[in-house]
Amino acid sequence: MSTPFSLARRTLLATALVVPFLTAPALAADPAETFVSDNIQRGLALLNNKTLTPAAKRDQFEQFLTGLTNLKRIADFTLGQYRRSASPADVAGFESAFQNYAVSVYQFYFSKYSGQTLKVTGSTQRAPTDYIVSTQLIDPAKSAPPLEVSFRVRTDGAKPVVTDVSVEGVWLSLQQRDQFVAFLGQNNGNVKLLISHLSELAKQFRS
Amino acid sequence: MRGFRALLLGLYGLALAGCASTASPEALAAKDPYEPANRNIMVLNQEVDRLVFIHTLERYRALPEFMRTDVHNLLRNLALPTIFVNDLLQSKPGRAGRTVARFVINSSIGVGGLFDPATPIGMPYHGEDFGQTLSVWGAGEGPFVMLPLLGPSNPRDTAGLMVDTFGIDTTNHIHFKQHFWWAAGRQYLNVLDLRSQTFDTLQGIERSSVDYYAALRNLYRQARDNEIRDGVANPAAELPDF
Repeated sequence: MSTPFSLARRTLLATALVVPFLTAPALAADPAETFVSDNIQRGLALLNNKTLTPAAKRDQFEQFLTGLTNLKRIADFTLGQYRRSASPADVAGFESAFQNYAVSVYQFYFSKYSGQTLKVTGSTQRAPTDYIVSTQLIDPAKSAPPLEVSFRVRTDGAKPVVTDVSVEGVWLSLQQRDQFVAFLGQNNGNVKLLISHLSELAKQFRS
Repeated sequence: MRGFRALLLGLYGLALAGCASTASPEALAAKDPYEPANRNIMVLNQEVDRLVFIHTLERYRALPEFMRTDVHNLLRNLALPTIFVNDLLQSKPGRAGRTVARFVINSSIGVGGLFDPATPIGMPYHGEDFGQTLSVWGAGEGPFVMLPLLGPSNPRDTAGLMVDTFGIDTTNHIHFKQHFWWAAGRQYLNVLDLRSQTFDTLQGIERSSVDYYAALRNLYRQARDNEIRDGVANPAAELPDF
């Protein structure tokens, strides 16, 4: 689409003008695009690697995912307002359960796209350390339209990380937060019950 | 059949009794003040689906893909006049022009809409409806509602659906013998086509969610916002900082 491209170029120019005045480290929009392109293509290739055993694929995918994202940061966000009231032990237990759940579920879903090609179509800088990289997943075998996928890249830490993914406009972390908060609301804020539920789901997707 | 309809109405009436229950603070924060009733209606929808609709859907999905694609193309082509009117109402002349071109090409070269030669030549399908038009005109979505049989919605989109179906859709104004059955059959095929297209996705969401109702609610809202923006990312959109 032309709009994200022209917006990304205008944003890039504006960013170049204000870079001397920024106090936080900034990543130009093109490096954010390169970060997404290189890493996601690597992930798809990993999932498409038929020489790996299921256990090896899972281990490598877990390493890939934890290197690409900050699952603890995403987990804390998805707890919503319950993050403040939960005990440190419950929060730690939830972060661990969320990591297992995310690895199992994301591997299952991303495997469906493992034969496809990722094409970066543009990017936008929302804030000095906050980028949205727009891409398309193209299936060479079908005539179906490409799938619009966006990655939110944050550069406010030691290295860039993906904190959210949107497929056709639906942001995954926002959806997960709504689900988890609704679940806790229906169950008197019982984080241990949520942990148990996530662990069960992770087991189901692994089997 | 009459007894079944009465039972269905009674069950949905009971589900609506959930309106009397107080929504949780989380539900109110999610702009879902009727959550108890909405959850009941979703459960009923799933039961009706399981008992009545799923068998037809399974047989439909067993048809060869090319047949389902032809039906999909035909239904989309029939929707183009409604889309054209909404393109104009939203002051999108470029999109309106492409809609007309798609209709002409697919109706003629595409053999009445069975085939879609317009997409490969740079005129892909886009959807518009009166709910989106109301949003473009400034109408807010209002509270979330789960409609009996129809699923997730809100007052704006429900009103939009009524206007499209009974007002804008030109095929509903062409009266002929058995017109009612033609219209009902077409709507049934629309639902069958949509369910067939989204079946695997929704199954996956149900399987991986801790709260399927909340997942559907959020998915509907985000997907709808994306439709209203015509799929164009809004960099200024409020994304939470985390």
